[in-house]
Amino acid sequence: MSSFLQMIFEPLKEVYLKFINFLPNLLAMLIVILIGVIAARIVKALLVHGLRAVKFDSWSDRMGLTSAMRKGDLWSKPTEVLGAAVFWVLIIVAFMAGMSTLKLDAIDSLVARFVLYLPRAFSAVIILVFGYIIAGFVGRAVVIAAVNQGFHYARLLAEAVRLLMIVLVLAMALEQLQVAPEIVVAAFSILFGGIVLALAIAFGVGGIDAAKRIIAKESLDRKEKHQEEIDHI
Amino acid sequence: MTAGASASTAAPGVVAPTILPGRTVIFRKEVQQQLERISKADILIGIPSYNNAGTIGHVVRAVQVGLAKYFPDRKAVIVNSDGGSVDGTTEVVTGTTIEDFQSILLHHRVEPAMKIVTPYSGIPGKGSAFRTVFEIAEALNVKGCAVVDSDLRSITPEWIELLLKPIMESDFDYVAPLYHRHKFDGTITNSIIYPLTRALYGKRVRQPIGGDFGFSGRVAKFYLTKDVWETDVARYGIDIWMTTTAVANNFKIAQAFLGAKIHDPKDPGADLSSMLYQVVNAAFELMETYKNEWKQVRGSLEVPTFGFRYTVGLEHVNVNVDRMLNVFREGIENLRDIWIEVLGSGDFRDIESLMRRSNAEFRFPKGLWTRIVYDYAIAFHKKKLPARHLVKSLTPLYLGKTASFIKEVADKGPLEAEEEIDKLCMVFEENKEYLTRSWT
Repeated sequence: MSSFLQMIFEPLKEVYLKFINFLPNLLAMLIVILIGVIAARIVKALLVHGLRAVKFDSWSDRMGLTSAMRKGDLWSKPTEVLGAAVFWVLIIVAFMAGMSTLKLDAIDSLVARFVLYLPRAFSAVIILVFGYIIAGFVGRAVVIAAVNQGFHYARLLAEAVRLLMIVLVLAMALEQLQVAPEIVVAAFSILFGGIVLALAIAFGVGGIDAAKRIIAKESLDRKEKHQEEIDHI
Repeated sequence: MTAGASASTAAPGVVAPTILPGRTVIFRKEVQQQLERISKADILIGIPSYNNAGTIGHVVRAVQVGLAKYFPDRKAVIVNSDGGSVDGTTEVVTGTTIEDFQSILLHHRVEPAMKIVTPYSGIPGKGSAFRTVFEIAEALNVKGCAVVDSDLRSITPEWIELLLKPIMESDFDYVAPLYHRHKFDGTITNSIIYPLTRALYGKRVRQPIGGDFGFSGRVAKFYLTKDVWETDVARYGIDIWMTTTAVANNFKIAQAFLGAKIHDPKDPGADLSSMLYQVVNAAFELMETYKNEWKQVRGSLEVPTFGFRYTVGLEHVNVNVDRMLNVFREGIENLRDIWIEVLGSGDFRDIESLMRRSNAEFRFPKGLWTRIVYDYAIAFHKKKLPARHLVKSLTPLYLGKTASFIKEVADKGPLEAEEEIDKLCMVFEENKEYLTRSWT
């Protein structure tokens, strides 16, 4: 009977002992996560406060970041979005740090891979954000310059430039994330080359007459501009 | 010292540059030595230049004769502040002398003005060239200065008298030029800069960006106290900056009628939107600097005008209104988002309604144009867009307004054209409350 009971209680005892040994790790994890959550809240509050002080929302309006967010159905202010993004990144980091206190091999390996991947993810986000801003800036510069020269397809030209830049930025971000890098490079080369080739064919073969008209109009405009003697200043 | 023997700068790098105590501009050692030798002067004439060998000789001769004829007993210095010309401009300046005093109705030989020929330092542009002129004016403690462009073909010795006499003899601090110009010329001045500065600062300075000015040594020293030499002021924003700074700081202002202004044709390939950007950007920047001053001003006052007014026969000016309207219409099609952001949907609808009119009946209402300029100033103040994009996006609207003005005055004489400009100025003054209210 006693051996039977021993058979029942021995595993329970083992579980209990393991739990007792594991309990400090679990508590440590909870404490780390709790501290992480508190730290994330503080960092978020400080960041939002700092960004408001330097008028980050106005800067985002000027650089087209706000309108990009609106297009993506994101209606919060850029300051709040950035604050929330940093908050959640810190929460994930705290969660990973907490998990690592459990000292489980599988989790340790996962955490190690996550930590190693963080710089790449961060670089990709930076590339995406700045790439988008620069593409918007260049697109706007192109449309204004083209309109001021009286170019008829100004918006089309600006959108094409912006699209090509976004394709380039996406490819760079994906390459940074190491998401099937060979496929990304190949797809980008094919897509980019394809666009250029399509434009060349469309303009060179299908659009000979249109090209002639545009070039003739441009040259006439230049001639008329040179004939104009008005002194604006 | 004869003009021919006047010292000029040696080849670059021959002697070490020096900085005068308390100054930021670096003078070459020989310029420093010249300044020490001259020690003090009454009058300084500044001529900024860059590859103007073809015209600068005439300008220097006119200045020399003007000084000899109208200020014979004053110690005068001519400063050529050059941007690194490679066509022999500085040699022309050094070598230009008055050969025959009889021909300019002077019966006795007058001591010619001394010349300082120096390259300027800093950002390439007219503003940096002027900075060197101001520094030398301060170093020589002059009473009166004048600056004249080096590409002028119509400058006469009387310009020197007209720009300097109010300063030397009537205690004025700043003399702006007043030219006779073709009714189609100077449209940035006529449709933006003159109405805006008049409404803002309450002084009717007709050519605030004329390019040729007279000013006292006191004003030159005041200019040097301002830290603007790394901004667009150092380029072509200098003219509006000089005038506005003088007006907003309550210096005593006058105008001098100089007759026609004829200069070398500008590069036809020069980008209009870049010119517009430099001038309008400087005007908007100055609105920030002097917001407390202009917010108090209501209405405007005439400024004293010197010189005998006469009619000048002006050459015909070719304009292509259809091309201007084409750019305006392209703007409506392609810059919709920017214009709605800056002007609001109400004014944008008014602009759109203009598109439906034929070229023949195209007219740009004065009230709408006034609100556009004020809305752009407010958008600049609120930093709605990067400044370069914002101001350059004004170009198609400006061309629409210019085309409308050309059509309105096509069959009118110069006086009637001037009346139209005056009416526009009145609308700017009447609508100023809108600007003041929106400037938060």
